[in-house]
Amino acid sequence: MSKSGTLYIEGDSLFHRMDGAAKLFMFAVWTVFVFLFQDIRIFVPLFLFGIGLLIAAKLPYKRIRFFLWLMIVFNLMNCLLTLLITPAYGSKVWGTTTVILNLGYNVLTLESVFYVLTLTLKYMSMMPITLLFIFTTHPTRFASSLNRIGVPYKIAFAFSIAFRYVPDLQTEFRNISNAMQARGMGFGKGEGSYRERFKHFVSIAIPLVQSSLHRIETVSNAMDLRGFGRHRRRTWFSATAWQRADYCIAVICVIVMVVAIAVRMNGFGTFWYPFTSV
Amino acid sequence: MNQPIISFRDFSFQYRSLSEPTLKGINLDIYPGEKILIAGPSGSGKSTLAHCINGLIPFTYGGTITGDYTLRGKRPADLSIFEISQTVGTILQDQDGQFIGLSVGEDVAFAFENECMPQSEMRPLVEQALQVVDMLPLINQSPHDLSGGQKQRVSLAGVISMDTEVLLFDEPLANLDPASGKKAIELMEDIHQKSNKTMIIIEHRVEDVLEQPIDRIVVMAEGEIVAIGTPDELLASSMLQTHGLREPLYVAALKYAGVGLAKEDHPTSLELLSERSEVRERLSIWLEKELDITARSASEPILALQDVKFSYDGERDIIKGVSLHIGRGERVALLGNNGAGKSTLSHLFTGIAKPSSGDVLYGGERINDWSIRKRGEHIGYVMQNPNHMITQQMIADEVSLGLRMRGMAPDAVTARVEETLRTCGLYGYRNWPISALSYGQKKRVTIASILALQPEIMILDEPTAGQDYKHYTEFMDFIVSLSDQGTSFLFITHDMHLALEYTDRAAVLHDGHCIAQGPTSQVLTNIEAIAQANLKETSLGKLARSTGVAQPEQFVRHFIQHEKKVKRDE
Repeated sequence: MSKSGTLYIEGDSLFHRMDGAAKLFMFAVWTVFVFLFQDIRIFVPLFLFGIGLLIAAKLPYKRIRFFLWLMIVFNLMNCLLTLLITPAYGSKVWGTTTVILNLGYNVLTLESVFYVLTLTLKYMSMMPITLLFIFTTHPTRFASSLNRIGVPYKIAFAFSIAFRYVPDLQTEFRNISNAMQARGMGFGKGEGSYRERFKHFVSIAIPLVQSSLHRIETVSNAMDLRGFGRHRRRTWFSATAWQRADYCIAVICVIVMVVAIAVRMNGFGTFWYPFTSV
Repeated sequence: MNQPIISFRDFSFQYRSLSEPTLKGINLDIYPGEKILIAGPSGSGKSTLAHCINGLIPFTYGGTITGDYTLRGKRPADLSIFEISQTVGTILQDQDGQFIGLSVGEDVAFAFENECMPQSEMRPLVEQALQVVDMLPLINQSPHDLSGGQKQRVSLAGVISMDTEVLLFDEPLANLDPASGKKAIELMEDIHQKSNKTMIIIEHRVEDVLEQPIDRIVVMAEGEIVAIGTPDELLASSMLQTHGLREPLYVAALKYAGVGLAKEDHPTSLELLSERSEVRERLSIWLEKELDITARSASEPILALQDVKFSYDGERDIIKGVSLHIGRGERVALLGNNGAGKSTLSHLFTGIAKPSSGDVLYGGERINDWSIRKRGEHIGYVMQNPNHMITQQMIADEVSLGLRMRGMAPDAVTARVEETLRTCGLYGYRNWPISALSYGQKKRVTIASILALQPEIMILDEPTAGQDYKHYTEFMDFIVSLSDQGTSFLFITHDMHLALEYTDRAAVLHDGHCIAQGPTSQVLTNIEAIAQANLKETSLGKLARSTGVAQPEQFVRHFIQHEKKVKRDE
């Protein structure tokens, strides 16, 4: 996380320049698209295309590393559990059974392995666009875009101000836990049982919540005194106007969406299995 | 005479949740273009008065109002808080909390945004306002890259941009180091001269505010206005001292020396006063008086740093070779501006940070490898804000927490807690919920909770921040009594008064170096070090220099001894 507490990474790619609402629209279309289909032949190119976009945005690997691996690990866990719990589920999908391994309580089938592979790629094809969205969107600019597409500004603003105070809370948490350690409270390994350590973390919450409440009072006073909420709408200092690129991308998204729905209506894109003849 | 812009007539206010009125019978007229200081100890009602002026009362905080308050002839009840905020612009005390935007520019633009100003018109106005407070180059910075003083200037720009007739500053000097505070006061005067706006400054640090001209001072105590007058009138009287406010130090020194001050003598001007021969004579006579207070003798070091260096990233040193020691039973001040490395140094003592080279010694033993917890058994650390330390509901539980953590037997815990509470004057409150205590009392509870662990030395981070003179004095006298019983103290502070009156030795930290160290009276009159560290010389040193009656160090020492004698005789 950056020093300013937001995940936003300064940069100058197409994605950085894109308006938040256009980006959100693209993200939504991408999501719907992925969930319309169950066909690995669609997910593989989509995934590669996404990776291409991610590389083009030139986000430093160090900064996105954590989220990247979080998604990958989560996905792998998901696969593994699916395989372990329902090792023969793939056969239900395609109606054939090709046993690879006898697990004792059930059999693992080739169909299931392929099913899980399809599922994994489906989720993985969401990964690049999600990272792009998170790391190239400035919270206030995003709030202003949300407001423009019809989200009430009070809700949109809440989104941006939450980011403002995250790092303050982090610092405060660190300070409080240091002071507590100096009084003999254990937080680390070997400094008490799990139960005790958990209890100690909870006890830090008390001063943290108290100071947050105090902060909320100050912030809301400061906002009142500067006229927040006076009118039914407001303007945004950091708003970006839609550029030609935003319109182009929005149009492309609409076309892709229409084509995708048409294709899907014609029956293409359900679970595809290459080994049916086996 | 023109019409007052702000007018209180027999005005009283009682918060809904309280049984007593907080403001009683307020009569006050403030005229356009005036620069007013409203001073008073905590609990005097000065913040409540500020809330009435800017509309937070009655729009955010409800309660009962009797009498009249009018703003430009209108009663707030007939306006909305938004309309009031177009006449009165407020800069709140909490520099961080009131910074709403994710960048400097956004924060200044906040009011414009709420007024639905088109983006194209907003930008030049924002830039113009930032120009006034000298912050334009930082327009894209995030609040986390700014110091407290810089954040305050951004908030000021935000309010200036609204072009309100009245500017209201609620404790602008709280949390600012001396250099930033001085700058803030100068900036206010600059804006006042250029715009001739009405300015209301709520503050209890009278001396610091009076460095720039003020038209009138309003003194508040216990919810009432007890005095209104020009600074000269009030400094000549004893009104400030009587009502728990601190007079400028040079005025106190002159009064000790028996110099009669009348308002015609212009007591606000140290320069004019020191030109008078009578002043010099009196001071010389006063300085010759023997004061039989013996200096405390030096003792062996209990905690020391030896040529310690520290760096967060392994490249750039934050602490660049500091050697420093605190003797047994000694009180030492670690002075320095924000960013000088004071907190890092306290982290090195407590083990939160480990030195990259050099040694931390406790009673002669090298403790570099001791954990935070192990050090905590000998070195107590008290944070600035008591609310950050308190995790229990009841006082006795809070004080016993550390002992229970150590696995002490319940009987022994009870005995130790009772003893500690007695020492700290909290025994009568032992079964009270902590939430019922005042800020100063909470601060005492945090001291008690550390003291119960019987550390040899306590490190106090800004111990007097947020406390007015009366509570400050009470609190520090309490610390002195603890130190007389043998506990050593290290105060991390930028409060020169605290160092001056309550410490034996002082060290000045600047940019990771310790640039001066020695007896407090000597360090505080070392103008080169003070200037280099961006601290502020006390007015005592200035008085000594401009009258030439004594060496500044000798003068300051004499003043401290006189104060101690006065206190002892009481």
